[in-house]
Amino acid sequence: MTEKIRKSAKILVFSTEKISDPAIDMAGLLKLHYPPTVYTITVPCSSGIKSRWILHAYEKGFDGVFIAADGTDCVFGESCTEKTGQLVGRTHVLMKEKSLDPARLKMAAICSVCSESFVKQIKGFNEYLLKTTNP
Amino acid sequence: MNGPSNQLNFDALVVGGGIAGGEAALNLASTGYKVLLVEKELSIGGKMIMLSKVFPTLDCAACITTPKVSEISRHPNITIFTSSEISSINKIAENNFEATVVRQPRYVVIEDCTACQLCEQACPVSVPDQYQYNLVGRKAAFIPFSIASPKAAAIDIENCVLCGACEKVCPTNCIDFTQEVETFQVNAKTVILATGFKLFDPLMIPRYGFGLYKNVITSMQMERELAPTRPFNTVLRPGDGKVPDKIAYVLCTGSRDATIGNPICSQICCMYSIKQAQLLMGALPMADVTIYYINIRSFGKGFDEFYQQAKGMGVNFVKGKIGKISEQGNGNLTLRYEDINEGIVKEADHDMVILSVGVLPNQDASDFFGQDELQLDPYNFIHQTDVLASPALTSIKGVFVAGTASGPMDIPDSILSAGSASSEAISYLIQE
Amino acid sequence: MKKKIGVYICHCGGNISDYVDVEKVKKSIEDEGGVYLAKTTMFACSDSNQKDMVDDIKGNELNGIVVASCSPKLHLTTFRNVSERADLNKYNYVHANIREQDSWAHSDDKNGATEKAILLVKAAIAKARLAEPLIPNKIQAQKAVAVIGGGIAGMKAAIALSDKDCPVYLIEKAPFVGGRVAQWGNMFTSNQTGEELITKLYHELIKRKNITLFTGAEVTHNAGSIGDFRLKVSVQPRYFTGTCEEKQLQQAIDACPVEVLDEFNFNLTKRKAIYRNAASEYPQTATIDMENCTRCGKCEAICDKIDLSQKEEILDLHVGSVLMATGFDPYTPAEGEYGYNEVDNVLTLPQFVRMLELSDKKLIRNGKEIKNIAYIYCVGSRQEEDGNTYCSRYCCTSAIHTSVEVKKKFPGVYNYHFNRGIRTYGKQELLYAESLQLGDIYLQGDEESLPEVSGESGKTMVKVKDILSAGRLIEVEADLVVLVTGMVPRADNSVGSMFKLPKGRDKFFNEIHMKLRPVETFIDGVTIAGACQGPKNIMESVNSALAAATKSYSYVSKGELETEPIVAEVDAELCSWCDACTAACPFDAISMTNESSKAIALINNSVCKGCGMCLPVCPTDALNLIAYSNNEIESMIDALAAG
Repeated sequence: MTEKIRKSAKILVFSTEKISDPAIDMAGLLKLHYPPTVYTITVPCSSGIKSRWILHAYEKGFDGVFIAADGTDCVFGESCTEKTGQLVGRTHVLMKEKSLDPARLKMAAICSVCSESFVKQIKGFNEYLLKTTNP
Repeated sequence: MNGPSNQLNFDALVVGGGIAGGEAALNLASTGYKVLLVEKELSIGGKMIMLSKVFPTLDCAACITTPKVSEISRHPNITIFTSSEISSINKIAENNFEATVVRQPRYVVIEDCTACQLCEQACPVSVPDQYQYNLVGRKAAFIPFSIASPKAAAIDIENCVLCGACEKVCPTNCIDFTQEVETFQVNAKTVILATGFKLFDPLMIPRYGFGLYKNVITSMQMERELAPTRPFNTVLRPGDGKVPDKIAYVLCTGSRDATIGNPICSQICCMYSIKQAQLLMGALPMADVTIYYINIRSFGKGFDEFYQQAKGMGVNFVKGKIGKISEQGNGNLTLRYEDINEGIVKEADHDMVILSVGVLPNQDASDFFGQDELQLDPYNFIHQTDVLASPALTSIKGVFVAGTASGPMDIPDSILSAGSASSEAISYLIQE
Repeated sequence: MKKKIGVYICHCGGNISDYVDVEKVKKSIEDEGGVYLAKTTMFACSDSNQKDMVDDIKGNELNGIVVASCSPKLHLTTFRNVSERADLNKYNYVHANIREQDSWAHSDDKNGATEKAILLVKAAIAKARLAEPLIPNKIQAQKAVAVIGGGIAGMKAAIALSDKDCPVYLIEKAPFVGGRVAQWGNMFTSNQTGEELITKLYHELIKRKNITLFTGAEVTHNAGSIGDFRLKVSVQPRYFTGTCEEKQLQQAIDACPVEVLDEFNFNLTKRKAIYRNAASEYPQTATIDMENCTRCGKCEAICDKIDLSQKEEILDLHVGSVLMATGFDPYTPAEGEYGYNEVDNVLTLPQFVRMLELSDKKLIRNGKEIKNIAYIYCVGSRQEEDGNTYCSRYCCTSAIHTSVEVKKKFPGVYNYHFNRGIRTYGKQELLYAESLQLGDIYLQGDEESLPEVSGESGKTMVKVKDILSAGRLIEVEADLVVLVTGMVPRADNSVGSMFKLPKGRDKFFNEIHMKLRPVETFIDGVTIAGACQGPKNIMESVNSALAAATKSYSYVSKGELETEPIVAEVDAELCSWCDACTAACPFDAISMTNESSKAIALINNSVCKGCGMCLPVCPTDALNLIAYSNNEIESMIDALAAG
C-alpha cells in the first residue's frame, strides 16, 4: 500500500431502481459532488438486501455500506421501511459478532428527488469512516 | 420513370422529421399504423439534433435525439423519405388524402454507403457547411454531420464539378450520378404537419452589423460551437480565432419587434441564451458573459431555478435594449444600449456578440393544399382552430399540427404537442 | 458456456469524456475475463453505433454486452433492443452508469472519476459474465383506463381514449366535472368562456357509451399493477333519485336553513347545503352537501326525488392503466401576505375572476365603486429557496387578460400591474401589447424590492421601487388589490400517495424524463397529465392530456404486456419450509408445496413482483432474486472492491 493520505473512504451504496437511484442520478445532474470512491449497486427494493452481501463488502475491503432505502415511497408497499430496518438490525448483530463497528453500516431513506440529502449523508458517512477506519 | 412502385399507400403522412414529427410518427407506428415520414433535409432530427445541450437539465441534445432518430429509422412501420418535399396534398374524402412527394436525388445509394468519408477526402470542392451554420466549410461530396440519420454521404450537385474523384475512391461503388428526381403518389388516411420553424435572419436588422462584423454571430452558430460535434473543438470568435472573454447576448433579436414584422415572443430564446451562458462559463471559466434582455421569460418546469442558477454562476444580466452595435479596429464590438433600470443610454465593449435569434413560421405547409385552405394565424403559423380544447386541429379535418408549426415552443412542449397530434390522428383513423 | 462480452464506453459527446479518460477505461478493462472486444464511441445511443453493435454481436457471436454511458433510466431499453435485434437475449445486456453517477457527480476530480468508471465497468462485466437469458413474463392487460380527475385534462383524456375504442372510467372527486376551468370566465386566446368549454366537453363525454363518469367519487384503494390495476372507488350519493321539477328544486333550495361559503366562488358568496351548481357545472343535477346538511328534511318534503337515505357505494374497477389528471390548487396567500385577509379589499386572482363573473353593471367592493385596481404578480411563485421557487407560467397572461376584460366591461377602471418582469411568452405577447395600448400602467419590482400593501384610515396603498423608472418609489391608491396567485400542488395528495407517485423538487408529480418520457412515471402503467405535473395553461394541459392518453392506450391496446421476469426463486435443497418468507411477502406470492416428499416454498411467478423482501428473512439462504443472485451481487462487489 502506498502511504498517500486517503481523501475518501470506500463506500458501497445499495440504491433502489425507482426511488433512490433516480435521486443519486439527480445529484450528478445537479453537479452535487461527493467522493468518487462511492459505488452504487442497484436493487429493486431496499428490503431485499441480504446481510451476506453487506458482510461480503467489508470482507473485500469496503469501509462502509450505505443503504439508500425506499422509505415510505416504496412501490412494493408500506412494510418496506420496517423490513429494511429489520435487515439492518440483523446485520448489525452479525457485524458485532465479527467485531465490526456497526456504524459502518448506515441506512437512510432517500426519496426520488432527495439528491441533496443523499450527498449530505454520504459526506457525513465518509467523514466518520475516515476518522474511524484504518487508513 | 414513374412506374407503379411510385404509387404508395400509408395510414399516415407525417411532414417534417424533426423532434415533433419523429415523435408523432413513432406514436402512430407503435400503435400499428404505417407511416410515411417526409423530410426536406438530408437527415432527420430537425433543429434539435444540431443543438449542444438542452435546458433546464443540461442533458446533451444528441443523447435524446439520436436514440429517437435511431428508433424512427428502424421502426418497421415507418418509411422515411429524406431530401423530399411535398408538392401537393389533396383531400379526396375523409380518410383519403392524395399527396405528391418529390424526392431529390442524393447521388448516393444510402443502403450501400458505409460513411467511410473517402469521398469527402477526395472531393476537391469546398463550400460553406450549412449544417455548421457556415462556421466552417465542407466538401461537395459530404456526410451531412456525424450523427446524421441516415448516416450516408450525399453529393451537393449544385456545387459539384463532376470530376468523378468521389466515384473513383468509393469502396462500395455507392455513388450514382444517374439518380434522378423521383415523384411519388402517396395515399394516406391522415396527415400530420410538423414542418417546424425558421430562424430569424439578423441581416434584417442592419444596425446589429451581422454579416458585416465577423464577431457578431447567431445563437445557432454558438450552439454549434458548443455542441459535442462542434467545428472548432473549442469556443472561438470567427473573426480571428481568438478565444473570447467578454461575450454579450442580445435577446429578442427578431422577436417582440413589430418593426421587422414579428411582434410575438419566441418563447425559447431567453432559456437557450441562459443555457449557452452557463455552458460558456464552464468552457471558458475566465470569460464574462452579459445578457441584454427586456424580460427574462423562464416560465417552464425548472426554468426559473435555472435562471437563478445562472445568476449564481456570475452571468451578468442587464435590462437593456440594444440600439446599435459597432466594430472597433481589433474586431471588438461596442454595444450602445438603453439601460432600462437607470433610464440612460450607455455603451459597453465586448469581444463577441451573440444575437439570440427568434422563431419565425415556416410557411411551406400553406402551399401544400389545393382546394382546401389550410388557414394560417396572423403571424403565419398554422392556425389552431380549437386552440384550447383541441390544439392539434387545423382548418382541414384529418390534418393535424404538431410542434412549432403552430407557434413557438420549447422541446418538451413540442413533444407533448406531437403526442396530442398523434392522439387526434389515431382517433380520426379509428373513428372514420 | 464461455462468455464473449462486448464492452462499449461512451464519450457522450464530452459529457463523459470531458471528465473521464475513456481510453484509459477501455485499456483497463479489455483484459477482464470474458471481454472479447472493447470500444469507445462518441454516442453509444446513435444509430450508427447501434448498427455497429448489432454487427459486432452477430459477427463475433457475442453473448454478453456492456454499455457504459448515461443512466439506465434513459437508455437501458435502447440497448436491450439492440441486443434483441442482434438475436441476443436482452437480459445478457448490462448497463454501467458512468455519467450521472460518475462524470457529472465527480466533474471536480477527473482522476477519481476515471478510476471509478473503471471499477463500475468491471462490475458490469462481472455481472454480464453471470447473466443468463430470461424470458419476459406476458401478462394480460385489461383494456380499460381509469382517468382520475375530471377537469379539462381528465375530460379530454377520457374523450381521446374513448375515441380509440378504449373503455374509460372518469373519476371526479367533486360533485361536478370541469375543475378549475369551469370557474373561469372569458379565456385567452379563443375568448371562449370556461363555461362554454366545459359544456361542450361534457356533452362530448356523455354521448360516448364507453365512458363511465363518476362524480363525488374517490379511489380509495389500489391493488395490482400495470395491465391489472384493481381499484376500489367510493362514490358519494347525490341524494337525488332523479331530477326535481325546476320550481320545486328552487323551493327546496330556498327552504334549506343551512348557509355555507361557496367554494366555487372562492368563498365570495354563500350557498345552501342543497345546491345546484353554477350554470357551467355538470352534471346539472343538484346535490346535497352532507357535511353541512342538518338532515332537517325540509327539502325532502318539497321534492320526492330527494332521498336523504342514499348511501355511499363502493365499486370495484379493473383497468390496465391509470391516468392521473388531478390538477392543482390555487396558491392561498399567508395571512397578511400583501395584506391578504388583513386589508379588506385584497383578493386573489381566482376570486377576482369570480367577482367579475358575478358583477354586472358596476364593479363594487364594500359598497364602493372600483376605479383603481392594483395587480401584484408572482404571489406564491418565484419565492426564495424553501418556498415555491418556480414560475407558475399561466399567471402573467391570465392577469393581463383579466385586466383587459375588466377594462372592456368597465371602461372607467385603471389597471396598475406590479410585476416582476412580464412573461407573456409566445403569441401571448400580443395581449401584453394590447394592454399597454389600453393605457395600463406597468411597475416592476424585483426580488430585492417587492411591492408593499398597507391599509390605513380606509385607504389601501400599494408601493414599489419601480425599476422601470430608475428605482423611484411609486405609490398607488387602490380600490382593489388583486394578488396574482400561482399554482401549487394539490394539498390533498392521498391519491398520489396511494399510487406512490414520485414528486419533483417543486412537489408536483414528476415525469420520468421531461423530453424522453414526459407523461410516464416511475410507476409502470400510471401516466400524468395537466397541471398535476406542474403549472400549465389550458392548451398545454390538453396537449399533455392527449399525449398521456396515447401512452396509456399503448399499455392496454394490445391486450397483452411484457413484464420483467425478475422474480424470486427457491433453492429446493436449501429450503426447509419455515414459513418466514410467506410472512415477509407483501403479495401473497409464496405458498408451500411438496417436492420429493419435502415441504418447500413455491413462488407464484405471476404474482411475484420481484421486490426481494423474502430474501433476507430466509434462515437458510434458499431464496434468490433472478438477476440479483448472490453470485451476481458478490462478484460485482468483488470487482468494485478490487480498486
